[in-house]
Amino acid sequence: MKPQRVDLRGVGNVDELVDRVLQTRLREAHALASGLARRDKQGLHDFRIACKRLRYALERFQTVDPSLEAIAERLAALQDALGEAHDRDVLLTILPPTMPETERRLQRERTELVDRADALWRELEQMMQALDSHHT
Amino acid sequence: MKWLEKTIACERRALERARKRFVTKPSEKRLHDVRTKGRRFRSLLEDVAGIAKSERLRRRVKRAAAATDAARDATIILRLLETSVDAAEAELAKPLLERLREQEQLATREASSALRRMRFTP
Repeated sequence: MKPQRVDLRGVGNVDELVDRVLQTRLREAHALASGLARRDKQGLHDFRIACKRLRYALERFQTVDPSLEAIAERLAALQDALGEAHDRDVLLTILPPTMPETERRLQRERTELVDRADALWRELEQMMQALDSHHT
Repeated sequence: MKWLEKTIACERRALERARKRFVTKPSEKRLHDVRTKGRRFRSLLEDVAGIAKSERLRRRVKRAAAATDAARDATIILRLLETSVDAAEAELAKPLLERLREQEQLATREASSALRRMRFTP
């Protein structure tokens, strides 16, 4: 999934650069959050990648705005949960049909991980509202 | 913009150091490190593509990531299967575990060979 291009026309300093990048990456993550609600493999994957881009931007810009750290940390936890769910999806595609107990365990863990990601995203949505208004 | 030039140079050096460490002595940890540094750097180049022209470099970083995908996938799936296989199905998992171990070794060698031919410093 290609990232949205950040419109940097007219940007003349670091603060403006931070605002434009964060606005774009926030919009991208929000737009793909429907994948988390659908819980399908591709939707979760695209949402995870968007969260990763947002997290890297937040971590990079912490030197400019230290208040970004808390959101970056929560996003890292969300991304971990989605990453582990994705790993289970991959293993489930190659698991022999002769291993139903392992399959059930992996499916159950996947559900728990997506539940955790969902709860973290709800928390993050509130934190990001404040971030969005600060950087627009 | 000085801050941006400094950040790009810094992340570029970090990726090159991670690449050198991995090709010198490939390991799971070093593979993870080179992939993480590459992803961060690529993400930076994508974020600032509007003011820092670095398309060729971004494509090179993307190629490096692609060269390590198979090794990473094999390692992660192998570790997950090792820890999550049901005790009653342990015997049934052996052929798949064996296949994944072989894939991991082969893919890590291939990743190392591909990254040996790449450079990220100017």
